[in-house]
Amino acid sequence: MRLIFKILGCLVIGAALGLGATWLAVSRMNLGAVSDGPWTMSLLTGSSQSGPYLRANIALHGLLALNRSETVYYTADHDSAGEWLDGNCIYRLEGREPSARWWSITAYGPDDYLMANKYNLWSISGETVQLKSDSTFAITVSKHRAPTNWIPVTRGRFSLTLRLYNPGAGVVDDPANAMVPTIKRVVCVS
Amino acid sequence: MRRALLWIAAALAVAAVVHYFTLTATPGFIMNKVMMKMGPVNEIHHMDRVTAASRGVVRPSPDLLYSVCPFDLSKGALHVTAKVPVGTYWSVSIFDADTNNFFVKNDRQVKGSIDLMVMLPMTDVKMPANSRQVLSPSAKGLVLFRTLIADENGFAALDAVRRTARCDLVRPVATR
Repeated sequence: MRLIFKILGCLVIGAALGLGATWLAVSRMNLGAVSDGPWTMSLLTGSSQSGPYLRANIALHGLLALNRSETVYYTADHDSAGEWLDGNCIYRLEGREPSARWWSITAYGPDDYLMANKYNLWSISGETVQLKSDSTFAITVSKHRAPTNWIPVTRGRFSLTLRLYNPGAGVVDDPANAMVPTIKRVVCVS
Repeated sequence: MRRALLWIAAALAVAAVVHYFTLTATPGFIMNKVMMKMGPVNEIHHMDRVTAASRGVVRPSPDLLYSVCPFDLSKGALHVTAKVPVGTYWSVSIFDADTNNFFVKNDRQVKGSIDLMVMLPMTDVKMPANSRQVLSPSAKGLVLFRTLIADENGFAALDAVRRTARCDLVRPVATR
C-alpha cells in the first residue's frame, strides 16, 4: 500500500513539474525576439522552424501570422521609459511613417482582443494618420478623446501592435533598427 | 538516502516525459482549437468585420477582412479560387496543423485571380488547367485570406470581391 502511494506521489509530482515547465516555456520565453525601443518583434514569426520549443513559441505568440518578408509585427506593452502601458495614462506616440507599403498601430486589452469603445475605433493606419508638415506624426493613446490621431483604450493594462505590410528591405534585414515610434507617457489620471 | 534519490530521479523522468509530450502537442492543440472555432472543414467562411466582440483569433486587425478555410485533405485535395482585389493589400496564406505558414502570395505577386490545388503528396486528382499545385505537409490546416480595407467608401465593393473566394474538396480520381 505504501509503495502504491509512493508511485502515485512520484507520478503526480512529475506530471506537475512537467506541466509547469511546459507552461513556463510557452508563456514566458519569447524565443527569437529582438527589440527596437519599447517595441519587440519575433524573427521567427511565420517561419517553419524545427524544434519543439520554437514550434510551441510560434504557435502561441504568432498564431496565423505571416513571415517577416510579408509582414513585420512589433508589439509593445511598455512605454519608452520601461513602464507598463496603463489605460489610466495618456501616451504620445511620435515618429515617422515606417518603411512599408501599409502600416497600422492597434491597441489590445490584456486578453489580446480589441477593447470596446463607443467610437468603434481601435487603430491608426497610414491611410488615416494626419501627418505634420515635416512628415512626422503624433498619435495620442488614451481613454479620453483626443481631437486627431487618437487610439482609445480603457483602464488597466493594454498593449500595442505595429503592423508593417510589405515592409521595406531595410526593415526585413534589420528589424531592430526600423525607426519605430517612441511611446512617451504624458500624464496619468485616475 | 539512495532510495530517496531513486524516487527523485523517477519523478524527474516523469516530468521530462510529460514536458516533452505537452510541448510537442501545443501547436497542434492550438491549431485544432482555432479550426473548430472557424466552422466546417473544406468550406470558405467569410468572417464578420473585426470588432471588440470578435473572439476567433487573438490580436486581430480591425483594418483587415478575413476569410478562412479550415481543411482536411484526408479525403482529397482542396481547390482554392479567388478574385484578387485591385488597389489594396490582399494575401492568401496557408498554415499546416502545427501552425507553420508554408505558403503565401499577395496581390503584387498574383494578378486577376488565384487558382490553387492544396493536396498531400501522392494525391491523384484531376488538375484544372490553370491551377497551381501546393503540397501540404499535413492533412489538416487552414487557408487564410486577408484583404485590407484601405478606403471605407469602397468597403461594399471590396467585400463583394473577397466573397468570390471558394474552397472545394476534390476527391481523388480512383475513388470517385
